Amino acid sequence: MKDEYKRIDFRDQISRNKNKSVFLMIIIFCVFVLFGYVISLAFEPGFFFLIMIISIIFSVSYIWISFYNSHKIAIASVGAKKASRTQHKQFYSLVEGLTIASGMPMPELYIMPSEQINAFASGRDPKNAVICVTDGALEKLDKRELEAVLAHELGHVANYDIRYMTLTAVMVGMIAIVSQIFLRSLWFRGGNDKDKGIFIVIGIIMAILAPIVVSLVQMAISRKREFVADASAVKFTRYPLALINALKKIQADNFPPEKLVSKVVAPLFFANPFKKLGSTHPPIAKRIEALERM
Amino acid sequence: MWEWILIGVLALVGFIFFIYYNRFVILGNRIDNSLSQIDVQLKRRADLIPNLIETVKAFAKHEKAAIKAVTDARKALVGAKGIEKKVKADNQLESALKSIFAIAENYPDLKANTNFIELQRELSSTEDRVAYARQFYNDSILAYNNLCKALPGAFFAKLYGKTEKEYLKITEAERKVVKVKF
Repeated sequence: MKDEYKRIDFRDQISRNKNKSVFLMIIIFCVFVLFGYVISLAFEPGFFFLIMIISIIFSVSYIWISFYNSHKIAIASVGAKKASRTQHKQFYSLVEGLTIASGMPMPELYIMPSEQINAFASGRDPKNAVICVTDGALEKLDKRELEAVLAHELGHVANYDIRYMTLTAVMVGMIAIVSQIFLRSLWFRGGNDKDKGIFIVIGIIMAILAPIVVSLVQMAISRKREFVADASAVKFTRYPLALINALKKIQADNFPPEKLVSKVVAPLFFANPFKKLGSTHPPIAKRIEALERM
Repeated sequence: MWEWILIGVLALVGFIFFIYYNRFVILGNRIDNSLSQIDVQLKRRADLIPNLIETVKAFAKHEKAAIKAVTDARKALVGAKGIEKKVKADNQLESALKSIFAIAENYPDLKANTNFIELQRELSSTEDRVAYARQFYNDSILAYNNLCKALPGAFFAKLYGKTEKEYLKITEAERKVVKVKF
């Protein structure tokens, strides 16, 4: 009995993936701090403080608003509608079963119009979470497969991926804004002090590179998180085969790339909605391989 | 200076004791809560049975043995005391239901009855929920036992007099595959 579980326990998988994402979070943080440091070296203190005060006020309200409205924005941006309890009985009953298995509160359920087999979760914590599936997923998946996909999304909720991805998106946006301010302010400066010239060059390079680095890191995190969410789904349902079958169906399904989906929401989808730009999700074959070892 | 360091260290130690006490309370409560969740789902299941029996009787009157088996199993489930006995009674009910659904294959009118189909779906989804509730109960116990056994939780467990809890066991007889007779 014991030997059966010796290979890779899903609990190990979850904790290992969590450690890796902490490591990546530290990298993002370092990039951000380094960026601020270079900016402060490149400008005179007086000028810098003025920028800082404005940008702090701006960024705090920016984070505040996006933190509390992220799921509404996500739902609205894909044109999803609230699922009705009478029409989509199976959808509700599967999620209710999964909340019992995971001991989590019931999320709000939405349905988005799309032929793709896909789903996503959003919100800031399990108490304020939404799960949204496509029409295609409800039609083409059988009960167990749909349950596995929903368990995967509930896994994103349970692991606080939904909050984490929201905050990462907010941070990417913030760095982009800061670097824009930095680049534009250079136009209004006289090139008198030669000592600081080198820092300005570094600053420009960083302003260009930072957003790229951050979004690369964001993609890497989100790829790892797909594996964690798959592991969580198995933890809830104890039935990896259904998830494997759902992934195989998506692989076989020929759908047009989703136009409605914004890049910010993409990491939280069950499978990459753009298909060809396989950056936010690991290849489906890799996910199946990891599931087969559980 | 020294006093402040001492106060700081004491506050930290107190805080750690506080945190561990709360962890035991929270995980203990989760176990109780998941136990009552099993109960809720089992009750829901028992409540669905009378409706099912009515529907079956309307189409397949003379399948008395199968109907009686289900009613008896339901009675046993409602009357059972303690979660282990209830789960055992539920397993009995599950096998009785299987033979009812097998019998339904011989009655096209019953099989096509929307009420019957709906009840069948409800019953199977509550069965999933019972399984999930049991799974979560055992998961909660695992979390609690890990806290009791691993360091430094083991130290605090001794201090607070907390001991490992028992998993919900399925007895050998129940593990056998239920045979469906046609």
